[in-house]
Amino acid sequence: MDRISGFRSRRFAPAVALAAAAALTLAGCSSSSGGKKAEESEGGASAGKATTPRMTVALVTHQSPGDTFWDIVRKGAEAAAAKDNIKLIYSADPNAGNQANLVQNAIDQKVDGIAITLAKPDALKDVVSKAKAANIPVVGLNSGVSEWKKLGLMEFFGQDETVAGEALGNRLNAAGAKNAVCVVQEQGNIGLTQRCDGVEKTFSGKLQTLFVNGTDMPSVKSTITAKLKQDSSIDQIVTLGAPFAMTAAQSVSEAGSKAKIATFDLNKQLTSAIDQGTIEFAVDQQPYLQGYLAIDSLWLYKNNGNYMGGGEQPVLTGPAFVDKTNVDAVASFAAKGTR
Amino acid sequence: MSMTQHAEPAVTTPPASGPNKTDGRTSERPLALRLLARPEVGVFLGAAAVYVFFLIAAPPVRDGSSMSTILYQSSTIGIMALPVALLMIGGEFDLSSGVAVLTSALTASMLSYQLTMNVWVGVIAALVVSLAVGFFNGWMVVKTGLPSFLVTLGTFLILQGANLAVTKLVTTNVATDDISDMAGFDQAKKIFASSFDIGGVQVKITVFYWLVFAAIATWVLLRTKYGNWIFAVGGNKDSSRAVGVPVTFTKISLFMLVGLGAWFVGMHQLFTFNTVQSGEGVGQELIYIAAAVIGGCLLTGGYGSAIGPVFGAFMFGMVNQGIVFAGWNPDWFKAFLGVMLLGAVLINLWVRQSATRR
Amino acid sequence: MTTTNGTGTHGAVLPESDAAPATDAPIVELRGAGKSYGNIRALHGVDLQVHPGRVTCVLGDNGAGKSTLIKIISGLHQHTEGDFLVDGTPVRFSTPREALDKGIATVYQDLAVVPLMPVWRNFFLGSEMTRGPWPVRRLDIERMKKTADEELRNMGIVLDDLEQPIGTLSGGQRQCVAIARAVYFGARVLILDEPTAALGVKQSGVVLKYIAAARDRGLGVIFITHNPHHAYMVGDHFSVLRLGTMELSADRSEVSLDELTNHMAGGTELAALKHELAQVRGVDVEELPEEKDLTAPVATTGEGKS
Repeated sequence: MDRISGFRSRRFAPAVALAAAAALTLAGCSSSSGGKKAEESEGGASAGKATTPRMTVALVTHQSPGDTFWDIVRKGAEAAAAKDNIKLIYSADPNAGNQANLVQNAIDQKVDGIAITLAKPDALKDVVSKAKAANIPVVGLNSGVSEWKKLGLMEFFGQDETVAGEALGNRLNAAGAKNAVCVVQEQGNIGLTQRCDGVEKTFSGKLQTLFVNGTDMPSVKSTITAKLKQDSSIDQIVTLGAPFAMTAAQSVSEAGSKAKIATFDLNKQLTSAIDQGTIEFAVDQQPYLQGYLAIDSLWLYKNNGNYMGGGEQPVLTGPAFVDKTNVDAVASFAAKGTR
Repeated sequence: MSMTQHAEPAVTTPPASGPNKTDGRTSERPLALRLLARPEVGVFLGAAAVYVFFLIAAPPVRDGSSMSTILYQSSTIGIMALPVALLMIGGEFDLSSGVAVLTSALTASMLSYQLTMNVWVGVIAALVVSLAVGFFNGWMVVKTGLPSFLVTLGTFLILQGANLAVTKLVTTNVATDDISDMAGFDQAKKIFASSFDIGGVQVKITVFYWLVFAAIATWVLLRTKYGNWIFAVGGNKDSSRAVGVPVTFTKISLFMLVGLGAWFVGMHQLFTFNTVQSGEGVGQELIYIAAAVIGGCLLTGGYGSAIGPVFGAFMFGMVNQGIVFAGWNPDWFKAFLGVMLLGAVLINLWVRQSATRR
Repeated sequence: MTTTNGTGTHGAVLPESDAAPATDAPIVELRGAGKSYGNIRALHGVDLQVHPGRVTCVLGDNGAGKSTLIKIISGLHQHTEGDFLVDGTPVRFSTPREALDKGIATVYQDLAVVPLMPVWRNFFLGSEMTRGPWPVRRLDIERMKKTADEELRNMGIVLDDLEQPIGTLSGGQRQCVAIARAVYFGARVLILDEPTAALGVKQSGVVLKYIAAARDRGLGVIFITHNPHHAYMVGDHFSVLRLGTMELSADRSEVSLDELTNHMAGGTELAALKHELAQVRGVDVEELPEEKDLTAPVATTGEGKS
């Protein structure tokens, strides 16, 4: 019988603990530092609203769930949509076939415009031509800087990953790095590979590649630590995403290494790390701008027939370097999750 | 009557059986062979083989601090592999264990931050949530009789979605805010994510927890009533119920143990990295299950040990880091990992077969 | 002492059993008991008495209501009509645990044991011996192994290694361990659900021997079977179920194996029974001395009906 009663009490444990938590709160168990209260109240970023007729635009990306980067793209797109009186339909799937289906879905809904990412251009070829046949303008963003014209997209907003990599390589040369390691969080991702390749093209020192399991942070941390211990001459780490730069910083101090850290992409924590000097610099491709411009361009096309980049050249949103000299200006926007 | 001679030799006539010591059906097997038949011995040899291999192939592994790195990664897998192994011995699966770790970390982080409370409030809330998830899994499995594979697949998807959606809803981002400057953080970090200096080598506290938990789990499994019940419900649920084993209690509590493990690892991640990315953890559940299976736990339940998964997790960590230490071409990383693991499993299998062969 | 001599040995054993005459009151009694699942009546008007030191055999073909009967007595299901008395008091069990507490233990055909667990762990499963205060309360392994060994030896089962998984034992041995377990844990009534159904002839003989051993220790045994030969070897009372009702209820003195076989088979099932018995005979021909006694009536019945 006592087994049963033991079991019962376990059942009520959640309620008891909740009550305890509530009691703790009442007892003044609040944090005197940090937390939401310390966060500055955000000012509304939205400007006025257009009076043009309501239109519907679909944004279909290859975002994998929970990626900080795409969150910023989406915020940019939402800001543009709010300003331009656009109803934004956002959908995403990392699987190319599923992404194509989502585009088809948008065509079926008879939207007024579609913005897509071209991570795997071949898979999207058919639906893009279907959209064109249905007279829906299609613009590209983020991935596919070399393929967008072939597929017949109107405009493209993004960063040439190879160019960004090259720029980072040059900067490493200037800083005098000799032995760098490029940390790839997802093996087989074209964009990430292009970044590393770009760095390799211009970097005069030795560049190694390190693959880590991006879904398991402790594993990322110990793998980078292991690499730093294996080759103690490494003096530069290049990460391809902001969260991984933060983890790399922990690995560096754990391994007792002197390696500096540079990274692609930005987030809130990263700006303060740059400010403190833990991270040297970040190459920002301005995802907010990509989302914003993609939606805004469709509005401009519909209401004024404009082509950004003239329809011939991509509109490059990066590489924009963020380092100690300009981090202050960026930090407040990054804190809001928009830069 | 001829029956007595031909009858099952294991059984002699009832009362007159005093001097007859053995049933003559099995000859006494040598101690070494009997040892090899233990579920964890095969994986121990496999892990030792992998260790020796990298000791030779990757000189940096010989360094004490490198071993600490390897043990650290093994421990974050191993702490979860333990309850997952117990659950598997109890005849059930938990596919939600990977994302449950994140659920726990997210709960603690967001609750503390949003309400600006001492982080311990979040830690306790996360414990409650983790245990509740475990209870839900167990309760659903026991009450509906559905395979735990399906039930926990459902929970896995629910948690994966909820992790993202709730985080987005609460923080308007997909990662939580930095809580490292909040009250109680340093204290919690000491408990969940500090390191110790042992002979000049920094060893993560999770390594100690891992080994202590494994020792406790082994003791519970082999020396307590509850451990007996775990084997029983995994081996034959209906028999167990018929002889009075509280099957419902045992199964639900096993699921809640997984919740406890997820809470612990989740807290470790939170206090190590200060923030949590809401999309992580997917796929980890298979690594936990793999560590348990490599560790000699039967996929069908009723057989296994708590020590085996320790070596299983170590083998994972060793191969994972060993390849980096050896400086092999990283393009082949996953392939190496697969080959090494398969090799280790084969050694394990071979050992067990040669040990049980009569 | 072997029970395989059938009636002879049985007759010799019964007077030795001192429990039988002392306690004449039934431990378990069913009076007009029945069970309906919705509008399907699985069991109706069943009278059954279980006395200490006596074996009550319940015979019947598949679907005759045998399992329903056990489920009521063992506490898995509840009767919907009539009375179910234990020690003269009406009862209604809602879990097997309650039945166990009254000393009614059931040994099921398939689910008697957990195959991968060692013999001694199986023996004590659900009623483990422990020592030490709570946080470090642990299994008393030495005592459990010793006790299990003693109890099994008392029942005449000698195993050289109690650590071996019980799944490595033969089917008959497993049944025997389950019987020994029930006896040790104070069972007064032992329900055996088709213990010989999946066993070969020799194995069946072994199990029948332990049924007799349990009876000699003063237990009331309910022996469920569809094999009248097995039943007649150890039974003191025979109840035949047919289509959910009691077709025959007779003491050993009132019924012969021949009659029992007839009742058990009855009409159309005879062809199948003949086949089954032919198989039994085929296996047993060399080993059973009473072959003629057993086969003669069956053969005539078979011919007569077919």
